[in-house]
Formats: sequence, C-alpha cells, structure tokens
Amino acid sequence: MEFLAGLLSDAVRELFGFGDELRRILFLTLVVAGTATVIGVLVGVPLGAWLALTRHRLRNVVDVLVNAGMGIPPVLAGLLILILLWNDGPLGSLELLFTPTAMIGAQALLAIPIAAGITAGAIRGLGPAANEQLLALRLSGTKARFVAGREALPGVIAAVAAAFGRVVSEVGAVLIVGGNIEGETQVLTTAIVQQARQAHFDSALALGMVLLLIVLLVNIALGRLRAM
Amino acid sequence: MKLRYPDDGSQLDCELDIPDGTRTVVFGPNGAGKSTLLRLLAGTIGDSPLDATYLPQSTYHFRGTAGWNLGLGLSAEQAARARQLADRLGVGHLLDAKAVSGGERQRLALARTLARPEPWVLLDEPLAALDAQDRMKVARVIVDAIGDRGAVIVTHDQEAAAVLGDHMVVLIDGQVHQSGAVHDVFAQPADGAVAAAVGLGNVLDGTVRVTEGPLCSVQADGATIWGVGDHELGETVRVMFGAETVTMYAGTPPSVGSARNSFIGIVTDVRPIGRFYEVILDAGIPIVAMLTPGSLEALGLEEGVPATAVVKATAVRVVPS
Repeated sequence: MEFLAGLLSDAVRELFGFGDELRRILFLTLVVAGTATVIGVLVGVPLGAWLALTRHRLRNVVDVLVNAGMGIPPVLAGLLILILLWNDGPLGSLELLFTPTAMIGAQALLAIPIAAGITAGAIRGLGPAANEQLLALRLSGTKARFVAGREALPGVIAAVAAAFGRVVSEVGAVLIVGGNIEGETQVLTTAIVQQARQAHFDSALALGMVLLLIVLLVNIALGRLRAM
Repeated sequence: MKLRYPDDGSQLDCELDIPDGTRTVVFGPNGAGKSTLLRLLAGTIGDSPLDATYLPQSTYHFRGTAGWNLGLGLSAEQAARARQLADRLGVGHLLDAKAVSGGERQRLALARTLARPEPWVLLDEPLAALDAQDRMKVARVIVDAIGDRGAVIVTHDQEAAAVLGDHMVVLIDGQVHQSGAVHDVFAQPADGAVAAAVGLGNVLDGTVRVTEGPLCSVQADGATIWGVGDHELGETVRVMFGAETVTMYAGTPPSVGSARNSFIGIVTDVRPIGRFYEVILDAGIPIVAMLTPGSLEALGLEEGVPATAVVKATAVRVVPS
C-alpha cells in the first residue's frame, strides 16, 4: 500500500516536473494521432457510407476487408508500413522510416476501417424506411452519401471518437515504424513502455495519466457535439 | 409487363396490365405484395423497367427543416414547383419548421415526389396518413399534378382507389385477380376473393342535386341516393356503398327509421358468394346486398319477389368521379 501511495505522489510530482520533454511527447502524440484520425475519418466515413448504400458487386469483399481491418493488430499494420518503407521496399526511396509521417501512415491504416465500419453500421441502423426514401430521392452517389452521413451524424461522431481512441492508445504500430526515438518519434504510449521497462514506474504512471486525460477530454468534447 | 420478386418467386409473381398515360390503382389487402410490386417498379429492389418518381409507403423525414426535406434531390426549378404543391397541400407555411406531424410529412413527401418530372409516378398509399376531411382535397392535387403522365398508385382503401384511379388491378397473395376500369371492378368483382377485398358491390355515377351539412343527395339514373361527401351542386360524382351495408326487407319496410335511403323493387338475382349470398334488387337502379343464408331463408327472398333495400346515408361515400 505504501509502495502504491508513494508511486502515485511521485507520479504527480513527475507530472509537473516533466517540463519540455513531456510537452514534446504530448505535442507529437496529438499531432500523429490527430492527423491519423483526420485521414481515417476523411477516407473511412465516405467509404462506410458507400458500403452502407451501394449495391456494387464488390461490396461484400470490401465489407469483409473493413470488418477484418477493424480488428487488425496494430503491430501488423506497423509491420506492413515498415516493409513498404524499408530501404529496399517499394516506397524506400521516400526515406520516411522512423519519422512522424510514417507513424501517421501506420495509424491512419488503423483508423480507416474503424471509421468506415462504424459509419456503415450507423447508416444501416437508420432502418429500411430511411434507406427506401434515400433510394427514392434518386440522389447522385456523393449527395446520397452526404445525406445519409448527415442523418446518421451521432453514429459518425462515434466513429471519430472510436478512431481517435484506437490510434492514440496503440503502441505496436508507432513503435515499429517510429522507433521510439527520444525527442523525435517518441509518443505517450511508447514512452510509457520505455519508462516501465526501466522500472521508472512513477514516470510511466504520470504519462499514463496524461494519456487518460486526453482520451477523456476528446470523448467529452465529441459527446457534447453528439448531444447538439 | 411481367414482374417477379427476385428472391422469392412465391411472394409476387404476376403479369401486370398498366396502360400508358392512365392512373392505375393497385388494390388489395395488407400483405398482398402491393408495396413489393411498387418497389420493383421504382427499382429500389431489382432493376426497374420504368423511369419513375416514387413515394415510398413510410415517408421518412430527414433531420433538418421541412423546407430542406422538401428540396432534397430537386433542381431549383423543381424545388419551386414543390413549394407551390406544398402550398396547395396546406404545408407551405411549415418550411422553416423542424418538427412536423405524420400527416404533414406525408404532404411534404407528396409535394417533393410530384414535383419531379419523370414520365411515371408511383405512389404508395398517398392518402394513408391524412385526416378524413383533407383526403379529397389532397387527392385532387395529386390527380392534377400527375397530369397526363402514367401512374401506379397502391392503396387498400376503396375511396382512395375511386378518386385517384381510372384503371384498377386487384392484387391478392401476389397474384392479379382482376384488372379493369375502377368502376367495373367495384361493381362486378371477378371472384369471391376480389369481392371480399374490394367489399363494395354498389357503385353508381350521378349528379349532386341537394347538399345538407356533411351529406349530399345524388341523382343516379332513376333513383336518389343520400351519402357523405362535400361537393358542389351539379358536380358529377360517384356513389359507393358496400353490399354488406344494405339491410333487406321482404315487401315494404314497416316504418321509416333513421336511414335516408330506401329502395323498393323486385329481386332479380340471388347467387352464392363464398359463405354468403348476393341479392340483386332492381329498384330503378341495381342494388346489391350481401346476406347470410339464414337471413335469405327467413325473408324468403328469391327471383321475382318484391323487397326493399335500406341503406344509412353514413354508409354511402360520395367521391368526385
């Protein structure tokens, strides 16, 4: 008990003593996870709307891919990007490995299926009457997807929240393609791993609190948006 | 035109007679496959043979104002026409409203559907969510907005069928049982199933001679009939009442009750329809009555016997013809 209490007070002290290093980690975490979420939403939400409305023959294939993608282990997504960006790999000439850009790419890969899957579910959940009316309106594909997404807005906001929650809390993908380089590609989750491995539990716990706070604040903000 | 529900041949498998440029009513009980048929024609299932504007059975109101919903999928010119129609349907003042009632939704969706220019108009129960006093007004707007286009209108309501249609198809259990002019189908059901579904038997055309509150008196051939309907004097109308609403008396009735209509004549025909009997009385106009075997025997009704048919005015519907 004494150990835990000491740890907690040390963690809080750490929290205020981190200074520039914590700010850097926090900033990079928000930039990488935020950008990956934005990309994931920009691609995933229209994809999900398409999936929910289309009668295209490829829709079952895409459906399976999206559903599988929602559960893909982050380390696998990271491995995929690592192989692509490796020196001898197809995109090796871009020299993006161990940069924040690579981390954004890997996390976007995780965010897209989540955003698409939840959006598709939300639009399908509008029910047969909405679907029949959408068809009856004879809208163009883009307009139909917009109207459907607008109608299912609470679900789309949930998709944004889920995508952000998934990427900000994952460690496997950013660790593999980012390399956890201090001051360059270290984010909250990889920093926690490092501190914990070195038995700096107070630092690890402090970072964990910050991570929890971010997730909490983002969800409160999106929750308010949903209630509007 | 042949239609078949793609996933389940047993539900709907029929050949349809839908004349170009006429308003065809698809009539039938719930579960007959009417909406499925209309969805096939609209192409919301399968590929449609028609280029059509379509009002689904349950109108869906998207989040946003009534005006936004009204203009969905329409060009600027079509949206202007939709607003005109909304005015005529009595919902033109609601365009900024966010919450609208079921009947208002129905009218907004109708205005939007009818404002589109497609050569075919498909309407699923267009009068269903409306109050009784507004139905005829809305029906007139619908007929007017369809113009000379072809239309297929699904309904399970005799009054709606009579007002909106000129051609009629009776659909029961996914099969076409009868097809013809609305008047003919109502007056002469092809079989017991149609008679049970259509439930009328008495359809007469005439002219309004007297109006009195909710009632009007119609001159039809040699007889005068009182019924319910708001009409102008001299208007040409159709009078409809069910064979099951007619009370028969042998000879003449002992005294006059509250019923406005009593027709004295001679029985010209008695024939079994399912578990009942249909009795035809010639009273200057033909009156069809539905009787149980017990009543028929008790009254001793048979061909050549004098009898009286009595119908309450409230059971008689008078609609524009």
